[in-house]
Amino acid sequence: MTGAAPAIEIEGLWKTYRVRAPGPSRRLGRAAREDMHALRDVHLVVPAGCVAGLVGGNGAGKSTLLKVLSRVTDPSRGRVVLRGRTASLLEVGTGFHPELTGLENVFLQGAVHGLARRDVRERLPAILDFAGVGAWVHEPAKRLSSGMLLRLAYSVAAHLEPHLLLLDELLSAADPAFRERCHEHVRSLAARGGTVVLAGHDRAALRSLCTHLAWLDAGVLRQWGEPGAVLAAWPGAGARP
Amino acid sequence: MSEGAGARDRPTHVLVPQRGWRGLGLAQVVPWRGLLWALVWRDIRSRYRQAVLGVLWAVIRPVVTTALFTVVLGQLARVEADGWPYALYAFTGVLAWGFFASAAQAASTSVLGAGGLVTKVWIPRVLLPLASVGAATLDFLVGAVLLGGLLAWHGVSVPWTLVLAPLAMLWVALVACGVGVLLSALVTLWRDVGHAMAFLLQAWMLVTPVLYPLSLLPPAWRPVAFLNPMTGPVEAFRSAVLGTALPLGGCLASAGAGLVVLVAGLVAFQHVERRFADLA
Repeated sequence: MTGAAPAIEIEGLWKTYRVRAPGPSRRLGRAAREDMHALRDVHLVVPAGCVAGLVGGNGAGKSTLLKVLSRVTDPSRGRVVLRGRTASLLEVGTGFHPELTGLENVFLQGAVHGLARRDVRERLPAILDFAGVGAWVHEPAKRLSSGMLLRLAYSVAAHLEPHLLLLDELLSAADPAFRERCHEHVRSLAARGGTVVLAGHDRAALRSLCTHLAWLDAGVLRQWGEPGAVLAAWPGAGARP
Repeated sequence: MSEGAGARDRPTHVLVPQRGWRGLGLAQVVPWRGLLWALVWRDIRSRYRQAVLGVLWAVIRPVVTTALFTVVLGQLARVEADGWPYALYAFTGVLAWGFFASAAQAASTSVLGAGGLVTKVWIPRVLLPLASVGAATLDFLVGAVLLGGLLAWHGVSVPWTLVLAPLAMLWVALVACGVGVLLSALVTLWRDVGHAMAFLLQAWMLVTPVLYPLSLLPPAWRPVAFLNPMTGPVEAFRSAVLGTALPLGGCLASAGAGLVVLVAGLVAFQHVERRFADLA
């Protein structure tokens, strides 16, 4: 973090969707539309080597922010600068084909992340070792549990050696042993100058894993800083303000 | 990642709202060709793995279609196929058209059916319809083997132009890419386009010389028939296989129409692509 350019710079980021306006729709013509702001004027600088957690209730904008950072959807306004190769894991089993085996899906998953087949083959022993699903890797993906799919998907993303890793709330599908392995990986990635942004609800996990937390509330960045301070202010996932 | 490398030497991406002209989006295809092959392979692998009949479907479809039309048009309506056995004449058309139709159909739903590949991760999305066209090639190749058998059975001597048949199929594939990319964007914007698809393809087949020779049309209509982007490649494929004459001017017109469709499809796709994650 010493003097290096930040990994992520977010300036005045807005994400706006046109949604059907509440109330009775007009009988003729198109239904009335109004703007729904999923992100409102977010400013955030995430230093390299940081593990940044996103907290906030459902609909706070955590997933939308991750989607913008992973280039899935464009910002409506504002500007984001990302420094480094990015890998995103926003859903368990994205791009997995149920009829293909776990191993075939590992290669497919590598290709989805822009990795050539021979690069996947080179890293295959390490990927399979990290995933630890054993002989299940030769079964069609439809027979694998979501936990096993997560193990394979995370393992591929981890072995891309990204500079920037984006994770939506998916570690909750992992068993405690694999979750601990992922946490270890996140810490070591950050220690080597990588940056991780993850969304979560589990206070204990966020406190132990993250170096910073961002609290989003209805698309507004309410607080950004040291985990203890943000968690003290954040009422929690289930709580109503 | 190299130890201690500062964030300064890392590639930088700037994300800002995208507006206006976005080009054809083909620059992304080359660096991502590995994923294109992986998607083609995925489609082929999964299709032939789950279907019990596997490759047989690639045989049954063109054979049954040709048999039905041979009875109805060849035997009952006595369509004159420029002196060729009707079944052989129709099969060349059915093969080329079938490749186009199944490729375009698969491509049209490729974005909507891609799920997380569109909504949860960034890839050049134009790869999805292109991969569908690529995967449809296998069915065509199976049919081409059948065509060889049919030629031998009818004792047709193979003309030298047969070496040009792959070029004609490439032409079909390019038109299929254009139509497939265009339809995949339209289907994602308006789902009803999907319902109209079967009807659209059927009507299009009837205005294309698949089941009848162009000589059946009144002479004044023939130039108009070549404004159809599929008339050229279907005629070119048949001409390569059977060694028949090919009107060059008509082919140029048809190729021009095909190019318009291809460019329009790519431009339209790039234009709506930014909204896919919010629509699919």
